[in-house]
Amino acid sequence: MSSNSEPPAYAGAAAVPLVVANGRRARLTRALGSSGAAYVFLFPWLAGFLILTAGPALYSLYLSFTDYDLINVPRWAGLDNYMRIATNDPKFQDSVRVTLTFVLLSVPLKLAVALGVAMLLNRGLRGLTVYRAIFYLPSLLGTSVAIAVLWRQLFAGDGLINNLLLGFGIQGPSWISNPDTALYTLVILAVWQFGSPMIIFLAGLRQIPADIYEAARMDGASKSRQFWRITLPMLTPVVFFNAVVQTIDAFKAFTSAFIISGGTGGPVNSTLFYTLYLYQEAFGYFRMGYAAALAWILLVIIALFTAFSFLSARYWVHYDD
Amino acid sequence: MTDIRAAEAHEEPRERPIWRSILTHVLLAAFSFAMLYPILWMLSASLRPSGEIFGSTSLIPSQVQLQSYPEGWFGLRVSFGQFFVNSMVIAVLSVIGNVAACSLAAFAFARLNFPWKNFWFALMLGTLMLPYHVTLIPQYVLFLNLGWVDTILPLVVPKFMATDAFFIFLMVQFFRGIPKELDEAARMDGCSPFRIYWKVILPLSLPVLATAAIFSFLWTWDDFFGPLIYLNSMEDYTVQLGLRSFIDATGQSNWSGLFAMSILSLVPVFLLFIFFQRLLIDGIATTGMK
Amino acid sequence: MSGFGKGRSAALAGVAVTALLAGPAIAQQSGDIRMLWWGSQPRADRTFAVIDMYQEANPDVSIQGETVGWADYWTRLATQVAGRNAPDVIQQDYRYMFEYAGRGALLDMMPYRDEILTLPGVTEADLESGMSDGQLWGVNLGVNSVAMMVNATIFEEAGIPVPENGVSWQEIKDIAIEVAEKSDRIEYGVEDSSGYEPSLHNWLRQRGKELYTEEGELAFDVQDMTEWYQFWADMRDSGATPPPDVQALDQRSIETHMVTLGNAAMGFANSNQLVGFSQLNEDEIVMRVFPLVEDSTSEGHFFKPSQLLSVAASTEFPELSLDFVNFFITDTEAGKVLDVERGVPISSDVRDAIRPELDEDGLAQLEYIEGLDPYAGPLPPPPPQGAGEIDQMMIQIGQQVAFGQLTPEEGAERLVSQAESILSR
Repeated sequence: MSSNSEPPAYAGAAAVPLVVANGRRARLTRALGSSGAAYVFLFPWLAGFLILTAGPALYSLYLSFTDYDLINVPRWAGLDNYMRIATNDPKFQDSVRVTLTFVLLSVPLKLAVALGVAMLLNRGLRGLTVYRAIFYLPSLLGTSVAIAVLWRQLFAGDGLINNLLLGFGIQGPSWISNPDTALYTLVILAVWQFGSPMIIFLAGLRQIPADIYEAARMDGASKSRQFWRITLPMLTPVVFFNAVVQTIDAFKAFTSAFIISGGTGGPVNSTLFYTLYLYQEAFGYFRMGYAAALAWILLVIIALFTAFSFLSARYWVHYDD
Repeated sequence: MTDIRAAEAHEEPRERPIWRSILTHVLLAAFSFAMLYPILWMLSASLRPSGEIFGSTSLIPSQVQLQSYPEGWFGLRVSFGQFFVNSMVIAVLSVIGNVAACSLAAFAFARLNFPWKNFWFALMLGTLMLPYHVTLIPQYVLFLNLGWVDTILPLVVPKFMATDAFFIFLMVQFFRGIPKELDEAARMDGCSPFRIYWKVILPLSLPVLATAAIFSFLWTWDDFFGPLIYLNSMEDYTVQLGLRSFIDATGQSNWSGLFAMSILSLVPVFLLFIFFQRLLIDGIATTGMK
Repeated sequence: MSGFGKGRSAALAGVAVTALLAGPAIAQQSGDIRMLWWGSQPRADRTFAVIDMYQEANPDVSIQGETVGWADYWTRLATQVAGRNAPDVIQQDYRYMFEYAGRGALLDMMPYRDEILTLPGVTEADLESGMSDGQLWGVNLGVNSVAMMVNATIFEEAGIPVPENGVSWQEIKDIAIEVAEKSDRIEYGVEDSSGYEPSLHNWLRQRGKELYTEEGELAFDVQDMTEWYQFWADMRDSGATPPPDVQALDQRSIETHMVTLGNAAMGFANSNQLVGFSQLNEDEIVMRVFPLVEDSTSEGHFFKPSQLLSVAASTEFPELSLDFVNFFITDTEAGKVLDVERGVPISSDVRDAIRPELDEDGLAQLEYIEGLDPYAGPLPPPPPQGAGEIDQMMIQIGQQVAFGQLTPEEGAERLVSQAESILSR
């Protein structure tokens, strides 16, 4: 940012002075070509990527072919880790099943709630700021240890949910500690923390030019027609963004299960998220090499999902460019 | 040029029947209660003695005691005020770093053409996909060799190098939504890419910049894993590490102190959220350009 | 019998001699070291106070204390060790210590026994729990044993006497059913301990078996496990223990324990956790030894280190680190500060010094350990690598049996075969 420190007031002025003021820089840009300029913009990210991310990531790829135990020097193990994952690891299968279920349930639900609430809040009502803040509050508690206690208060056998159900004459199970239902309590937790996609949807709604709605109203389009014909298409870049990052996040979900199951992924592996299993292998059982192999398999799975989203995006995401 | 005043502007409240307003508020209020119940419970837990927290499920404490607030605040070796200051410093620096560095990269991805663009973009997204547990140790070794462990540098410097691909991707999506004619016109006027970035794209992107700022702040505030690994002495602890210091699963724990300080830890972020909100909401309306 | 018992009587004679040695450190030390432990604030206060005492006596020494809770501890320690930045003095858990020692991360303290790690008031037998193959990896920070936590208030309200030490499992079952019937605050008498490794261990030892052999192989068989799961199936069917979904709330932390949650009147934990239980329960909690099986060897219990102090193999200051360990464990003034918060000190001198200053829970803990001799046997062999994973598997398979996903026989077979495969890995 520091390379451009002219006062903003100068911006609206006519073209000629701009060329003079920027003559040197413009010449530099021409000399570099537009791709040179692009790499100048990319520089902080590129440096960070190459130094801070790529090195450690490649090292972890190397580790995935070793028996690294965190303490001793890694020894080459060839494809052993990958073979074991593919052929002889029931916990891997459990964790993939749990994670896929979680992704497929939590992402659409969370996005739907986030979009619905964002639409509701994107109005000229008074006091909406307070609601927005209130709806964001749960997302602030994401990693707090207090969440574990809260969720037990709600979903244990004698918790609030069952007390409410009792009013309807239903005796519920202990949702949070029953292998058939424990995962759903984590889905509810994820959906309850819909604050981030909601805010992004709101920002997206703000960017839809108002004159489009005006024109539509002149033509007598109904509210629902406006939603399907204007809001949703105009919002597709944001929907796409939210879907992609929420999916990635859900695949990598860790903290909630770690906190709520006390790090075990129990009962009976019913909340053994993929990264929780990976963490157990790495830090609980000293198999960092194996964990690294698990990590790269996860990366491939997520990358496939993401690539598919990007391919499909051509057909339903509308950019202005 | 296109008029991109906020959509809100065309919503004319006086057209709306009053009962619909009321209905919306009633719905929102009911929904708010469901959203807030757990936090209310936490508030109530902070007001009761530790022995009463786990046995009972009622929201109303049998006796109200406020002492868990002072006891929590001063209960650790370092007062919570210090943790708030530490968290605030790290969070503010992270906001600056993320917004500056990520918007630069996002501008390149969204608005410029250069060779290998898709390749770099895919790699950038790829960094979102690798679980951090397996890069933790090589990164730790790196920062250790730089002499940065036990300082806030490993938590802050990466933000200035745009390592959080989420924000780049977010900004790319929004930058692409800004009509192309705007920069084309500017380019015709002889503007350099830097100038387009600074004068055209950034002013039109205040909502997304505010969003990125909010998330940077909140997520840094919430993060405990980075501080856990890189901050060793309690004087440097953040709020989240301080909160976790109340609890030890194997021994004595100060649960009422935890709940009291958890409530307090929400206050600054809540206020900040409301403040930044204004930027987010007013953003386009006030900077709309003609 | 136990090292603890012997240590006490043997050391009493040497009090005069050791008092001379235990004064200020033998030689003035200098250097910069770090110590890492898990725990919450009360432990941190005590530990930092002892660090300050040591620094005062050794002005050229600086000790940086670092502390986090149990849940975060192992990630931080593993990262530091992997990054070759291990703390010099490390608080270790009995099982994790052997994982670290087996991989060469810890210093063998044995060579320092004569000069620096003199440990006055401590017998060789007290050190066994930190040893394997004649090498000393950690010094016991506090003696501990498993204990049955009993909510005495519930028993009192129900008009039933609190069970005494030495009752049988059969009697506990009857008592559990009775107390659950008569109390209007709890629904079940005793927690379901089928997935709790220390309970299984105690039960096996009473039957003359063990968890692991000296060679690190399984020391029990499918028959033992089948009987164990069958026993708990009967307990569940009789209504003495909670159903599986209630029991699964337990995560081996005090705040999720069946007794703390108010689901059962009796449960199982470690004796040094009594203070934590008293803190989170408004009721009075007392400790009893584990119930006995038929034809018990009476040697189910053993004196287990609550924690140990180890020194990193990579330390630049082995002498200083060990001198500090020596001070931490045997200095009587330090002992008064540390109290029994980490378990009962192994040094008889320290025990005698702190006894008059203990509060009710501390005294109960000390008396529990001192009265444990009739129910305690020799120390088991050190747990092999992989024991931690098998422990986690016991929770899982115990739950599968409880939820009816496996029969006791199937559960027993699966547990034994999977444990064997982990040990051979």
